Order: sequence, then C-alpha cells, then structure tokens
Amino acid sequence: MNLSNNAEFIESLSSKFPNLENNFDTLKIKVKTSDWTSTASMLKDEFNLTYFSWLSAIDWENEVSVGDPPKEPVSPCFEIIFCLSDSIDGNVVLVSTEIEKENASIPSLVEVFAGSNWHEREAYEMFGIEFSNHPNLEKMYLPDDYEGNPMLKSFELISREVKPWPGEVDVEGMPEDGSEGGS
Amino acid sequence: MWRACQKMDQREAVKMDDILNAGNIPYVSEASVSVEIETEDMTLNIGPQHPSTHGVLRLVAKVDGEKISSVEPVLGYMHRGYEKLAEVRTYPQITTLVNRIDWVSGFANEIPFIAATEKLMEIEAPERAKHIRLILTEMARIASHFVFNGAYALEIGALTPIFLAMEDRERILDLIESVTGGRFHPNFNRIGGIKPAAGAGPTTKKNIQDLPAGFYQETRDAMEKVLDAVERMEDLVGGNEVFKVRTKGVGIISKELAEEYGVSGPILRASGVKFDLRTQTDFLPYDQFEYEIPVGENGDCYDRWYVRLMEMKESAKIILQAIDSMPSGPLQTKVPKVIKVPKGQSYVRTENPKGEMGFYVISEGGLGPYRLKIRTPSFSNISILPVLLEDQLLPDLIAIMGSLDFVLGDVDR
Repeated sequence: MNLSNNAEFIESLSSKFPNLENNFDTLKIKVKTSDWTSTASMLKDEFNLTYFSWLSAIDWENEVSVGDPPKEPVSPCFEIIFCLSDSIDGNVVLVSTEIEKENASIPSLVEVFAGSNWHEREAYEMFGIEFSNHPNLEKMYLPDDYEGNPMLKSFELISREVKPWPGEVDVEGMPEDGSEGGS
Repeated sequence: MWRACQKMDQREAVKMDDILNAGNIPYVSEASVSVEIETEDMTLNIGPQHPSTHGVLRLVAKVDGEKISSVEPVLGYMHRGYEKLAEVRTYPQITTLVNRIDWVSGFANEIPFIAATEKLMEIEAPERAKHIRLILTEMARIASHFVFNGAYALEIGALTPIFLAMEDRERILDLIESVTGGRFHPNFNRIGGIKPAAGAGPTTKKNIQDLPAGFYQETRDAMEKVLDAVERMEDLVGGNEVFKVRTKGVGIISKELAEEYGVSGPILRASGVKFDLRTQTDFLPYDQFEYEIPVGENGDCYDRWYVRLMEMKESAKIILQAIDSMPSGPLQTKVPKVIKVPKGQSYVRTENPKGEMGFYVISEGGLGPYRLKIRTPSFSNISILPVLLEDQLLPDLIAIMGSLDFVLGDVDR
C-alpha cells in the first residue's frame, strides 16, 4: 500500500511520460537535458506540482575512492535530480537527467522555482556542476578558498585514509593480555 | 556653555518652526522641507555566534536605518558532510548519523531513513514496533515544539516561558530516555524493527521485554501535563499584548511563496495549506488514530507559533490513543545478520517536527548506500529568508527568524 501517489496521478503522468519508472513507491522520470526546464514548468502548470522539494546530483563512476563501486559497470556521468510535489494529495515525483562530466553544465531552474537557488548552489560546490543563468552561483557551505568538490566519488575522505574503519579495533591491549604495556 | 548651546538650539528651533509654519515665505519650498536625506546602507553582521540564531548561522544584512534592504545568510558553520560520510558507512551505522541532523528531535530523523531502507529490502516492521516508533516520533515532536515555544517567547522578550517549557520538555525526554536509553540521540530504530528497550528487564531471547515497566502510566500522566502546558502557554504567551504586537501581521509568507521555496511543516500550514505528510505515509500507522491538522490563516509569525502549539496538543492526543491500542507481538522482523540492501532507489519523506524530511537512498547492492541524499526541512525553510526579510524592520528580524524554528544541524547537515 502506498498513500503517497494515487493511481490516477500515476496514470496521467505515465501517459505524458512513457518512460516513467515506479520502483519502491518512488516515481522517477528521465528526461533529456534539453527538456530540463520545460519539464519543470510543465509539471508545475499541468500536474499542479507547485511544491519544490529538492535538487541534487549523483556522481556515477566505476572507480571510486570512497565506499563501494557499483556492482555492475555504469557509464560515468552526473545524474541531476529534482523532486516536485503537490500540497493537496501528496503526489511526489523525481525528474532526472544525465550530463557529461567534462564541463558539466545545465540550465538553472530558478526561473521556474525560485527555491532551487540554494539547492543548485549546493550541487555546484559539491559536484562542480555549473548552472547557467543562476543569479548567484557561489559556494554554500565551504570556505571561499576551498578547492575540490567533496561529493565527487574521486574525492578522498582524508580521515579514512589516515585510519581505515571499520577495520581493526583501536583499543590498546589490556596489561593481562601480555601483548603490550603493563608489567 | 551647555546652557548657551541649549538656548541657541531653542532659538534655532523656534526659527525653524517659524519657517515651517509660515507657508507664505517664498524661499521655503515644499520640496526643501521634506527633503529626503540619502543615507548609505550599513552592513550589519549578525552571528554566527548569537543566541537567537539557533546555532551558528551568520546573516549579513544591509540596513538602511532600521529597515533591512537585503539579507544574505551564510551557512556552513555546522556542515559535517553527512551525505559523504554515509557513503563509507553500512546501513545500520547510518542511523547514528541521522540522529544528529536535527538534534532537537533526534528520533524523528531516523524514521524516513529506516523506512526508505526497509522499502528497498521489501520488509516491514511488526505492528508493535510501528506503534512504538509512532509514539516516540510524536514525543520528539512535542519536545521539539516545547523548545520552540520557550525559545521563541525568549526571543520576543519574555523570559518565563522558557523555564516552563524546558521543565515540561524534560518530562518527555525522560520518557524517551526510559525507552531508548538516550535523551537526544536515541539510535533506537533498527532495519526491520526496533531495539529492545533500555529500561527493559532481562533481554534474553525468550524473555524479551520491550517497554519499561510503568511506561504507559507515566506517559499518560506526562501527556495530561502536556495538554495542561499547552493551555497555560496559550494563555501566558498568546494572551500577552506585547507578544501579539510583535508577531501578528509580521513576516507574512504567502502560500505560493512557501511552496515555491519548498517551505514545509508548520510554516506551510500556518500559511493556510492543510498538508501534513503524516496523512500520506503508510509505514507509521497514523491512519488508525484521530487527530486534527492545525492550519493558520494569515501565515504570520503568530500563526506559526500557534500552529506549533496546537500540534503539541494533537500529538499528545495521538500518543494517548496509541497507548490504548498498543498491539502485542514481536519488535523485529527477521532480517539477515549482515544487512545488504538490493539494488534500487527509494525516496521516502516524513513529517518531521520542522517539516518534510526525506531520504533518497541509492543502493547498488552493497553494505552501504552508493549515495544518500538527505532532504532536510530547515534548509528549505530558511532559504526563504532573503525574500522574507526584505524591507522588514530590524527588530522584526529576530521575530521572523525565530518563528521559522530551524536548527543549524538540520540546515547544514
């Protein structure tokens, strides 16, 4: 049972977007990058999805310096996702597109949803994705002189390099163990 | 000398009055009397360490006299990079992290993450576990709103309510502690259920106890006291003329503006949108209970305060019902010893005390998520600040900011 999206909404959405995915109660539409802003305004006007929830990105990469790599090989790209909802029935849908990693750039959604401003700034600093037409594309969290984009899979987590964990237990041996310390 | 100056000033004043009153004097034109002095905007730095900023938020305000011309929030003082950290942790380890996002309501943060993971694993927690989750979530909501109620009155200038609120909140935290063992960071949810309660008796496999002895009665007493406290607060704070003047008609957020910026929770409802994710979710049994969704009319600071106050009442009602209809049964479904989540993507959002909290779990079939997007309510809620504070008066800044009830851990993650 899923109360989040009603069947009527899913039907009307899938007639417009035949490639609608509905896995684990999560609706996801994949669009071309050229349809990025037009999809957002269309969903806002025609499907009454006026509530802008969030925007973020995924770094798809086979060779990673943090965590586990994907089990099956993926084609390296940035997947950018935004989430819209309505405030009556609670319909919620994710819209995603894939862009090249080289000179990653995508039109900003600020014209359609002013609330995407901060979310795009976050994606810009964490992934290095340029949002064209963004009014104020500056760093959100990190210091001005910070270099690198921390959410990239190639960005090492320094503390993990210094001390791998989970791994060996870092508790010193007790004196009774005889291994070290104590007399 | 001073006297002389004063006399001269008086004389000057008399002269000015003459000029102003005598409209027939030819060389004093209307324009020269009501001349507007061009003032330079002053940059006022507020924070990051200021008690009314709820943590470490810095606001760079450009003020023209008492009027704010623009505000730029500067974030990142509390940025801990949880989205990155989640990529190097296993699923059971992540609940420890998510507790600390919005530390005022730690328990409520765990729910959407656990629910998203359970959806991917296609398992469901037993009914009893769901009920206990629901009770603790609502307790976290009450505790969070108590903090808001006390702190907001304090920001407006009333000292007493914070003491009353903290005392009442302590009672709720004690209850949470008696079950989970932690006041702020319970880390109580497990994938597929909950952990056996802290205050329980022998926890051998055969004789597993869940809720501590006397929990039901203590909760009933505490909820009665919450209902009393709400009434008292309504009277004490809401009936205060100064409070009304400072908050009514101040910082109005329209429905359209709120939705465009992704503002959620009590703030959205105060703007007249009857939208509560508790009615939309299926993994906590909210549909079994009767409760109302308080909605505001004007979307001003007063409404935001009032909606939260009324929500505490409704939460207390939900808890009382949940205790009466507590099902018996196990606390955990069967899950593998090493939790591996199959490949898939799931977005689950719940009604946190502060608004919509969502976790987008992207699993590639490993021990930990490939990517975890954390959607926090406070981030979107304060993204409205630059628009909301434009052309407001400086004294209203604190009133407006306080009414948004954000926590910086929830903003920066």
